[in-house]
Amino acid sequence: MTPLPLTLQDWRAWWPGRARADEPRLSGEERPAGKAVPAMLRRRLNLPGRAVSDMLEALDPEASQVLVHASRHGDGERTLQMLEALTVGQPVSPARFGLSVHNAILGVHSIASGNRRSQQALAASGTELAALFGEARGYLADGESSVVVVFSDAPVPGRFRGADTPEVELAAVAMRLGTATGRTITAAPLPADAAPSRAPQPTDVIRWLLGEAPLRCPGRRLSWRLAP
Amino acid sequence: MSTPLEHELKQLIIETLELEDTTPEDIDPDAPLFGEGLGLDSIDALELGLALQKTYGIQLEAESEEARRHFASLRSLAALVEARRND
Repeated sequence: MTPLPLTLQDWRAWWPGRARADEPRLSGEERPAGKAVPAMLRRRLNLPGRAVSDMLEALDPEASQVLVHASRHGDGERTLQMLEALTVGQPVSPARFGLSVHNAILGVHSIASGNRRSQQALAASGTELAALFGEARGYLADGESSVVVVFSDAPVPGRFRGADTPEVELAAVAMRLGTATGRTITAAPLPADAAPSRAPQPTDVIRWLLGEAPLRCPGRRLSWRLAP
Repeated sequence: MSTPLEHELKQLIIETLELEDTTPEDIDPDAPLFGEGLGLDSIDALELGLALQKTYGIQLEAESEEARRHFASLRSLAALVEARRND
């Protein structure tokens, strides 16, 4: 059986301070507005969460798409604050607990947008992008005409980071994937002699979308090419 | 006109519940805090209960009728703190 093709129909990205005049799909706002979410819900979203909500509204205005969100580290800051409270015998903040879970951003987005489709949150030890493409293919093979995948991350808090933990850049990227219209995404095995590269972060995906850099996943020995 | 304690509680609510774009003047002391009125939700109720415990040493049974009554408005919350605060 020939595998379904995978195509990129549209995308949005957020990379603070990196706006480009020729690329309206990339936001460089330092503080994303999160206008897609009412203020009483928005207050619970961190910066990536606000950016993701706005990007999802742009890519899924009817709130009818299946959504998959990946983040390698999730909300490290809230999780650490809770652990720190526990170590000094303080009770844990219920709001912080509720929002520290990995599916918090999609949960808040779902309440605000009314999207009741399948929503999935995942972390994959540095192979998030491969996991997103894999999950999207599954939904597309099941008959969805398109799926929106999101990849966001934020720096791991310094007091938690081990000496060998790579720097994580604050950014988020969302792509609407399909099988027919759009630019074809093809995966190829990473050559054995390929130069070493880090586990792809959202910023690496943005550079790839902008045509500035190749996209490789050493953890899965894969690289992806985006047709012009 | 708010009493000093009511004003203090408004600040506590705004800071604890991270109410962006809300000022103390926006909180009507007699309006419901939850649902209609200020529009707080069940997570806020738990968070506010925790803040009362930390700030004033007041412990309330979650889900109790008593808590429901005290949390009805800012005015009733102020009456609770006035009666039960540890100082």
